[in-house]
Order: sequence, then structure tokens, then C-alpha cells
Amino acid sequence: MEVDILELSDRSAKFVLSKVSTSFANGIRRAMIADVPTLAIEYVNLYDNTSVLYDEQLALRLSLIPIVTDAETYVPQAECDVCGGEGCPACEVSLTLSAEGPGTVYSRDLISSDPKIQPADPTIPIVELKKGQKLVLEAVAHMGYGRDSVKWQAGVACGYKNVPVINIQNCDACGHCAAECPKGIIRFEESGAKVSEEDILKCSLCRLCEQVCDIHAIKVDFDENAFVFTMESDGSYTARDLAINAANVIKGKAEEILSILDQF
Amino acid sequence: MIPVRCFSCGKVISNYWDEYKRRVGDGEDAAAVLDDLGITRYCCRRMILSHVELVDVLSPYQ
Repeated sequence: MEVDILELSDRSAKFVLSKVSTSFANGIRRAMIADVPTLAIEYVNLYDNTSVLYDEQLALRLSLIPIVTDAETYVPQAECDVCGGEGCPACEVSLTLSAEGPGTVYSRDLISSDPKIQPADPTIPIVELKKGQKLVLEAVAHMGYGRDSVKWQAGVACGYKNVPVINIQNCDACGHCAAECPKGIIRFEESGAKVSEEDILKCSLCRLCEQVCDIHAIKVDFDENAFVFTMESDGSYTARDLAINAANVIKGKAEEILSILDQF
Repeated sequence: MIPVRCFSCGKVISNYWDEYKRRVGDGEDAAAVLDDLGITRYCCRRMILSHVELVDVLSPYQ
């Protein structure tokens, strides 16, 4: 397995993963979306709500706020050994909010009981309060899995495509393929059509160039064991941590299978 | 209120709303503002482009 990082920022990453099978690449993608546990608000105790939103709408908006997650300190509630899934400091964080209008309530107004656990974005508007409107609530955040609800989904827009391979032979430099290419990556030199090394990754495998080439000089294929991955994190982890956690989840599952097989 | 996340991909988009509203109100081109804010996918762009703020309409009827 080889990883070649193309872009890496706090919230998003793009990399080439090569010498792996399609099922492994898909496993990583699925693990990033569904199997990396994150914190999200699950219960809300509303003490006062005279805002324009119903309690349920307010709870939904709160639940969708990504929370910076410390996977070492917290465990998913269903797997919590301390309380057996009932809720305890090892699997729950409480956040309180109290605000009075006029003004907009933002996610930064949530006061967490654990200073390390904060909303990932401070400026998510929760509700706009008019004069005299009040909001007092306590929200309880759990660790959970993306497969149970989107609010626990750490990976956003995770996807991959195979690395394209473009072969050009006996080109007569007619220029049709370059005119047809929607990505505009085919260039012309004296010897004929060329696609530069870094532009190849932009190819969307649409094969329009193949169709317009009368002499079948251009062939678009893909490498079955190399993938261009794009991924984004919602902010609960950095993109780097999310990919590492996803790989660890797969590793954990593989080890689980081995230990089950050992019993037979 | 603007939805917290994009319905399709799940990216948090509500935190861009205040800036988008202010800049478009100042006369900037909506497409240029969205590009500048880093909202690249069309699923996320429609969330902001098609949003209608109703809080002020509803608030007198509490």
C-alpha cells in the first residue's frame, strides 16, 4: 500500500492510495463515513424556549453542530463499560446554553462541562431571538456512529475514483480530442496529443476523447489498484486524524474476525 | 433559520450565512462570494442561494 498526499488541510484532504484492492479502498471510505465515532448532541432538556423555533427543531439544529471529539477520553455510549450504556462522564458531555434576545444565538454560546470539548465551528447560528425571547437549555452529547445518524458522521463527501491511465499511439494531431475534453487536459505537441502527469488525475474517465477519435489513437483506461481519494471532515476530527481513525477501525474489525476464527 | 448542514453532503454551511448575506447585500456577486467562502459543490451552493429567511415574518405571531 502506498499513499501519496496531493492536498492536505485541516478539514479536507486529497490523496492517491495505490497498490490496494477496490474493496479495501471502499472499506476506508465507508469507515470514514459510518464507523468513526464522534460526539453529537443527543438529549436536550429545555427549561425555557420562547423563540420562533419549536423545541424539536431547536434540538435538531443543536444535534447537527459538529463537536471537536477526543476519541481517547470518550467511548461510544453503547460500548461504555462504566455505566453499561446509561450515561456517565466517560461517555457523555453536558453543554448548557442560556440566552436572551435581541440577538442571534451562536454555537459558541454553548458552555461545555469539559473545556476540551467545544463546537467545531463557533459561528453556527442556532436561532435568532427577538426582544424578550428567551432560551435556556442543557444539551447532552454522546459518542455515536455515523451509521446510526448523520449527526455522528465525521466524514463528509468522502469518495474515490480510479487513477486514469491514458495511452496515445499513432496520433495524427487532428485536435478533436482536445476540443471534446470537458476538463481541458489534452495538449498538443509536434508528436501529437499529450496529457501531462499532474493533469492525468483530473481526467473524469468520460471517454469522450475516445469516441471522437476516428483512428482510435487514444485509449482511456484506469488502474484497478490505485485510487484518487477526496475527503472532508465536518470538524470533529482533522482530516488526517479521520483517515487514521478509519484505518484503525478497519484494523480493529479485522482483529475481531481473527479472534472469532481462533475459537474454532 | 438557515439549515445547519447541507441536505445532500452534510457539510456545515450555516456558519457562512451571515458573511454571505452581508457581502451580497453590499453588492458583490453571489457566485464569487460562494467561491471565496470555499463552498464548491453545487449541493452546498443551492442551500445558501435558495435560502429565504423567515424568522422576521414569523416572530410577530408568537
